[in-house]
Amino acid sequence: MFRQIWIVSALNFKSLKSRFWQSMVIVVGLGATIGVLLSMMSLTAGLRQAYFNSGDPGRAIVTSQGAESEGTSNIARADAPVIMDAPGIAKDKDGRPLADRALNMGLPVLHKNGTKGFTTLRGFGPKGVALRPEFHMVAGRMFQAGKRELIVGVGAQASFQHMNIGDKVIMPNGEWPIVGSYTTGDILDGQLIGDTETMLTALKHTAYNSILVRLTSQDALSTFRKAITTNPALQVTVTRHSDWYQKVSNQSTSFLAVMAYIVGTVMAIGALFGCLNTMYAAVSTRGREIATLRALGYGAFPVAVSVILEAVTLAVVGALIGAAVAWALNDGHQAVWGQNIFHLRVSPAEIGLGVSWAVVVALLGGMLPSIRAARRPVVEALRAT
Amino acid sequence: MKFLPLVWAALTRKPARAVLTLLAVTMAFTVFGLMIGLSATIDGVAEQARGDRMFSVPRFSYDDGLPIAVARRIADTPGVKLIAFQSYIPGYVQNEKNHIYLSMGHADMARVFPDWHATPTMWDLVEHERTGIIMSRLQAERWHKKVGDTLTVISPQLKRADGATSWTFKVLAICDDVLLAPDGFIFGNYDYLDKSLPLAKQGRVNEVDYVAADPARADAIAQVIDRAFANSASPTQTITEKRAYAVSNNFGGMDVDVLTHEIALAGLAMILFLTANVIAQSVRERFAEFGTLRALGFGDPSVIAMVVLEAAIPCLAGAGLGMALAAFLAHHIQAIMPPGFGLPRPTITAAVYGGALGSAFLLAFASAALPTVRLMRMDIATALSERE
Repeated sequence: MFRQIWIVSALNFKSLKSRFWQSMVIVVGLGATIGVLLSMMSLTAGLRQAYFNSGDPGRAIVTSQGAESEGTSNIARADAPVIMDAPGIAKDKDGRPLADRALNMGLPVLHKNGTKGFTTLRGFGPKGVALRPEFHMVAGRMFQAGKRELIVGVGAQASFQHMNIGDKVIMPNGEWPIVGSYTTGDILDGQLIGDTETMLTALKHTAYNSILVRLTSQDALSTFRKAITTNPALQVTVTRHSDWYQKVSNQSTSFLAVMAYIVGTVMAIGALFGCLNTMYAAVSTRGREIATLRALGYGAFPVAVSVILEAVTLAVVGALIGAAVAWALNDGHQAVWGQNIFHLRVSPAEIGLGVSWAVVVALLGGMLPSIRAARRPVVEALRAT
Repeated sequence: MKFLPLVWAALTRKPARAVLTLLAVTMAFTVFGLMIGLSATIDGVAEQARGDRMFSVPRFSYDDGLPIAVARRIADTPGVKLIAFQSYIPGYVQNEKNHIYLSMGHADMARVFPDWHATPTMWDLVEHERTGIIMSRLQAERWHKKVGDTLTVISPQLKRADGATSWTFKVLAICDDVLLAPDGFIFGNYDYLDKSLPLAKQGRVNEVDYVAADPARADAIAQVIDRAFANSASPTQTITEKRAYAVSNNFGGMDVDVLTHEIALAGLAMILFLTANVIAQSVRERFAEFGTLRALGFGDPSVIAMVVLEAAIPCLAGAGLGMALAAFLAHHIQAIMPPGFGLPRPTITAAVYGGALGSAFLLAFASAALPTVRLMRMDIATALSERE
């Protein structure tokens, strides 16, 4: 039977040339659908990737109960030492816990194209850098603790105006100079960093936003969590840093993902109708050929399979072309979504998803025509002109 | 029109093909309608946004607001005329999921926002009955309120002087919505809010709204004002309405105009291949028929008209159905999405319908082009003798 499927399919593909333009309906239809789907998803994928890079499973973040973001979380000043002395936190070379009091606030910025927007200004405590091996200075110097100065990420420098070393940033009660630039290779690249305590004083805030800790090992999370959450004085949540960023990225990407799926679905339905049309036409032009095969003793099943196989092949070719176009147009381009700066991505995972969409459309679109091809009485088909 | 029966016969010869083509075209135009409609919404908002109206908000600690003295200093800035201010009551109705948001404004709001449909008369009502509010139709429908009803808002963020978190208002007027506020609006009395707060929280505003005498100078005034407060305890962040609602600001920094048009175009390109093929195939199948028609004396224009018409019928019908579906989806999209999802409702304006109609005709002509050329070059004798 496989031999039959093989022979019938080979015959199909050989005759494709004479049905070139007709077959292009499927290729272009799915190419356009998958191209649009992946282009829209490149935003979600890029954002998720940026967040994914930011989360280290060896770190944990402590936030106030119910906080959906670092900005809405509050850790009272008095609670910080209790949290930072908890078991499960790794020790730095100086014997102090690798834990850092963090601040997180919105900072108005001017995009290079002149529109106004926001980015995140982060506060680092004394262990902010030691906690992040991915952090490197690029130019200038690190801010000094206790001084009213800031450092800027390379992504922020590329996207916003007035972000050069020496430029000044408006802060409460005065302007702070930018003294250096840094990179982390993740979401922090689009942000600015200053000294937590100095920022806290300037803002007249009485609480930190979160506390980031390095665990003694990835397995130490439960020890740490237990120590923190069983303390009745603390009303906080402990989350593995990588899980935290996953949660945050899901919040901000769900909108984009829904949009991509709505548009993708409508287009896929359109492509499905096109596919049905093409395959019906193919089956009808090849009616006599199929009947001849049947008369020669080929089974109905191999004929049906060969029709579906043709649809799937054309669809996959289309999907790959669409994916290639989406990749060429989008992959690696810098994008801004809300406060995030990141690079668009058309990764193998998304391409795989696009191809599987195409296969589903082709299976649905090839099914009915294949049944017709297989069921058509041989004699009738042979007589047909 | 005398060709209609002939064209109809051609279309119904293969009903499955005709229906599938129609459905595929419908889907393409659904995408077209939604995308171009979305772009029209954002363009419409950007267009209605005024270049002379400006807002100053706190640069940091947004919820703490600005001292009311800032509003007075802004009013004294040269080039600023008409000033008002507002504070917000964020909260919920009955259930924490039912977010609501009230703007408690100074009576001059009516003069700063004359294009909003809350009239000076309505503001006068709110001025005299301090617990009164003006609701836009969208908000009134959402909370099932009519004039005279009461609305109770729970605001954990905003406690009254006595520590209570519930705020009860009386609906005094309902007005039309504006494009600039896609989620509707509720206006109340600023003084009432201010005097109800604990003493330490009084005398602050969340937003100062004003009009520049010369729109051309608005950006410069914004800079002057932000500079003036840059070294104070309450730095401001000032923006003109035009800039705040600029297309590129509305969608997290993405260029929605380009994106939506590209998607709409991709949909049309997908469908062009289908319709062109279907027409070509249909003409190929009926080559002999066309030969007969020509032999009977049908001229070039008649034959071309028939082919174009055969292409135009599914294109136009599909465009109509697709736009209808898009309009339906656009109307219900906010109900389908979770509340506060932030997706603006696509507005299918006359221009969008016009664009769809034009695209449908273009699609029909483009699809009919190649088959027509073949028919024009046709040799009648060959066509008639042709056997499939």
